[in-house]
Parts: sequence; C-alpha cells; structure tokens
Amino acid sequence: MKKRIITRRDFLKVAALTPLAGAVPFSVYSNQAKVTKKEILKSRVVLIRDKDALMASGSPNQEIIQKMLDEAVTTLLGGNDPVACWKTLIKPNDIVGIKSNVWSYIPTTKEVEQAIWRRVRDAGVPENNIGIDDRGVRRNPVFQNATALINARPARTHHWSGMGSCIKNYITFVPRPSAHHGNSCADLAKIWTDYNLKDKTKLNILVMLTPLFHGIGPHHYSQKYVWDYKGLIVGTDPVAVDATGLRVLEAKRREFFGEERGLQPPAKHILLADTRHHLGTSDPEKIELIKLGWEESRLI
Amino acid sequence: MSEDLKNKQMELRDLLPMEINGWKVAEEDREFNPETIFDYIDGAGEVYRAYNFEKLLSRHYFKKGQPKIVADVFDMGTSADAFGVFTHDLEGEDLGIGQGSTYNGGLLSFWKDRFFLSLYAEEETAQAKKALIALGKSIADSIPKNGEKPRIVSFLPEEGLLEKSIHYFHNHIILNYHLFVADENILFLDQKTEAALTTYSLQEEKSILLCIIYHDSEKALHAYKSFIQAYMPDASEEGLVKTEDNKWTAAKLQEDLLIVVFNAPTYFSAKEMIQKVLELRNQK
Repeated sequence: MKKRIITRRDFLKVAALTPLAGAVPFSVYSNQAKVTKKEILKSRVVLIRDKDALMASGSPNQEIIQKMLDEAVTTLLGGNDPVACWKTLIKPNDIVGIKSNVWSYIPTTKEVEQAIWRRVRDAGVPENNIGIDDRGVRRNPVFQNATALINARPARTHHWSGMGSCIKNYITFVPRPSAHHGNSCADLAKIWTDYNLKDKTKLNILVMLTPLFHGIGPHHYSQKYVWDYKGLIVGTDPVAVDATGLRVLEAKRREFFGEERGLQPPAKHILLADTRHHLGTSDPEKIELIKLGWEESRLI
Repeated sequence: MSEDLKNKQMELRDLLPMEINGWKVAEEDREFNPETIFDYIDGAGEVYRAYNFEKLLSRHYFKKGQPKIVADVFDMGTSADAFGVFTHDLEGEDLGIGQGSTYNGGLLSFWKDRFFLSLYAEEETAQAKKALIALGKSIADSIPKNGEKPRIVSFLPEEGLLEKSIHYFHNHIILNYHLFVADENILFLDQKTEAALTTYSLQEEKSILLCIIYHDSEKALHAYKSFIQAYMPDASEEGLVKTEDNKWTAAKLQEDLLIVVFNAPTYFSAKEMIQKVLELRNQK
C-alpha cells in the first residue's frame, strides 16, 4: 500500500480539534495506528514532585530522591513496600543495566542512579550483576548480557529530535547513532525492537528535576531556559512517560514565551513510537496520570 | 598568491585569540569534520551538515571565578552557507558584530565571509558577556573580508517583511524545522537546492513566502508537479487554493524558480506576492 503523505494541510484540518497550534495533533497520524489489545488498557504514569528535591547548591537531595522514587514505584505498581514492588520488576538472577545519561549540562544525576541501584540491590541482584552506563553500553559486559534494563534520563528539548526522551535514551545501543537522525529522528522507537530492548526494559524514569525547555546554539543549552521543576515521571510504558514529560515542557514554553511555541522540531518520534512502532501510548486520553507531591506550578 | 586563495587557506585557529579579557586558553583546540561532529554536539551536528560545513574548531577559555567560554568556529565553505546556518536561529539581540549577529542567554552567534561563529559562556555573567563581545569583535576583525549573501535572498520583497524572519537553507529537514510542509520531501529539496523562507505581515495576517532555485528547469517542473499533487490537488489551474483555515496558498514556477505563498489573507495578496518576487528576479 502506498504510504500516505502527511502535509501541513492535514494539520489545518484538525486544528479546530487541537487548540494548541504548535503541538502535533494525534489525530493526524492516528489513521496509521493499529488498534491493539494493549491500547484498550490505559498506560499508568506517575508524576511525583517534591519542593525539597534539590538542595541549596542545586544538587539533588539523595534522601528525597529515594523517597520520591519509592513512592512513584509503589503507586505505579499498586503496592506498599518499595522493595517488594521492585522484586516484581527484577529477579535476583537478573543482570541489570541502569541506562543513564551523561550529558554534561543536565545528566541523569548520581543521586537518581544511586536510588535505582539501591533498589535493584534490594531486589537481590549481586553488585557485580548491576551496571550503570550511557555511552559505553555497547562495550559494557553487564549491558551486553543484560536481562533487565532500567531506563533513566533527564528531560530536555533536543535540537534534532525535538525532545531528549526515554525513547531516545537508547540511541547509544546503536553502532552509528547518526543513522537514526533521518526525518528528525522520527523512527527512534525502532531501536527498541531492533536491539531487543523493549521487553528487557522494566522501568522508565524521566528525570524532571531541572528540565531544559528551550535550546539555543550548537550546544543547545542556556541556563536561561532551565527551571527547577523538582519532579520525576515514572512508568513502565516509555512512550506514555515521554508524552507526559513533553506536555510539561510544552506548558513551560507556553508560560515562559506567553504564546504557543511548539518544539522545533516537533518531538514526533514520541507520537510515531505509538502510532507507527506500537511501543506504547502517546495519547494523553489513554494515559492514566497519577500526580503526587508538590502541586505548585505543576503545569499539567 | 591571490587574496582569495590566501583567504581560503586561512587556518581556523588563526582567527581566534589566545586570551581575551583575562580568559586564557588552557586546553588543546579540538577539530571536527562532518563525520566526527556528532562526537562533539550530538544531533545538532545535523544542522551544520545540512549547510555543507567543512570544518569546526572548538577552543575553550578559562578565567578563575568565571564561567568557561566555548568558541566554536565553523568553516562553512561558502558565505551563502555561513549566512544560512546563521539564519537557522535568529533569536536574540543584534550586537552589530560581523555581518549579522545575535546575543541571547550567554550565546553570541555571528557570521562573516564563509565563517559562522558560536561563542558561548556556560553561565551568563556581566563579565562573561563583555568578554564574549570582545572575543566576537576580535574574531570578526581577523576575518579580512565580507561575504555575499545568497542571490535568492534578493528576490524577497521588502515590504511587509518581518525582521529576523529570513531563513536560507537547502534541504527539506530544515524547511520542516521552520515550517512543516510535509513529512515526505515533496519539493525535491537536496543539498544543492537553494531555498529562502520568510514571513510577511499582510493585512495584519502573517503570510509565508518560500522561494526555491533548482539545479535546472526540469527538476523545478518535477518539484512543482509533485507539490501540486501532494499539497494542493484541489488548486485552480493558475496554482491557487483556499485552504482549510480560509487562507490562500499559491504556487508558481518560472524556469528554475519555484515560488510558494502560504497563509495569504486573500487570493489577490497571494498573486501579488508572487508577482513581486518575479519582478525582483527579473531585475537581477
């Protein structure tokens, strides 16, 4: 079947249904989606914030981060005890890769890595079967043999893909990342199936402690466009996690610029991860969003 | 040796001072090419590749108690592409450095001749801003001549043109970055096509003008037909259509030049815009 070309006019047609002119309307692409059984169930995502998540120095507060992660995981999985919940995700004989992100301006942070590491250990995994890595995952024996992955990265706008997302965080599993830059990284989700990462991934954590909502210049960074949101978004569905984070970034841009300013380029890889690659759910209507903690300026 | 050849052989490192306002170089310079640029700036490298960049030199400056300053100098090969990559991000204040500059949030960018400069302070302080401006001026002075803007820019009518709205580029990824037209390359843009996109204020509405010069008339005709078929199959014979937002889109081909007007408030304003472009082109 010949692929349908989507044009600006398709967006004009659905504009009345999507008051946010800069956003990529779901319905433009939705005719490409197959309705699967999974879509009938809502994807659950937990957004947790704590006003004390960052210390005066700007560094994350380890104790608070652990508490936020524990509360998010127990809420997500419907339990009371964080360790018991982690044991439903990770088995003691698993080899666990904690996929981090080392971008110099806004990394995953040691505190988030440590909070995850601690709970993986509590689930009974020996220390030598746990690895934390980003750009070295292809050479790291733990990741080469991993039976389970925890995916944790900071949320930020991105010059080429629109948003640095949990989906995008697996780009370092690819030998030549630039091969996935086509059409502003539209098909990043394919990495998850091509490299057998989808089923291994047990949890996705989008770190929203100090997100970047707008980027400038070759390094796509300015402190001017970073704010203390002090949040984490946690879920088993990476697409739902990213779609929720995207809503926060878009809301912040709206607030800051005083007008609708969609991401440039739009983070269409998140939408296409759903409609084309069936990795998860991007439609907010199909996401059960549970909001916990600090409510001020939550934006969504 | 001719002046032009000497200029072509100018080393990037010669453009940058070793010290500025007390900031000193304390690390080795790093050089990148279109293949290695991703090691330095990840996906953003695609922007510079889209403008056919040839070389990048990065130099870092340090001063105690002040943020690091990162100077990235790109040799774009031609002044058209230096201008083009500068127009990719026009947000900020023009400080009158080089042939066009912007300053925003600790980032000073400018272009001169075939070079594009990005000077960035990792934290925005008053001292750092002064140093960035001094560094920018020093570099601009060390580039001996100005470069020409691409010819297609001269086809853009001035009346109603919004400030800082001209984007010059080659491929459809950059077009879609500024204005989403279609997910497929229905205009057959490539690394050699020359395109200019700009915004006009017409009758209190924002209209968008896209001009593209193809390698030859045949390719331009092919692109025109493709655009009409994919984007405006309901267009009149003269290439106009009223779109879903009650505005007008118009497309016109003249030899190797394709002109498209989006969001025109009326049928007549769309036609008038095209006519003005053709007149300017025919004057050149």
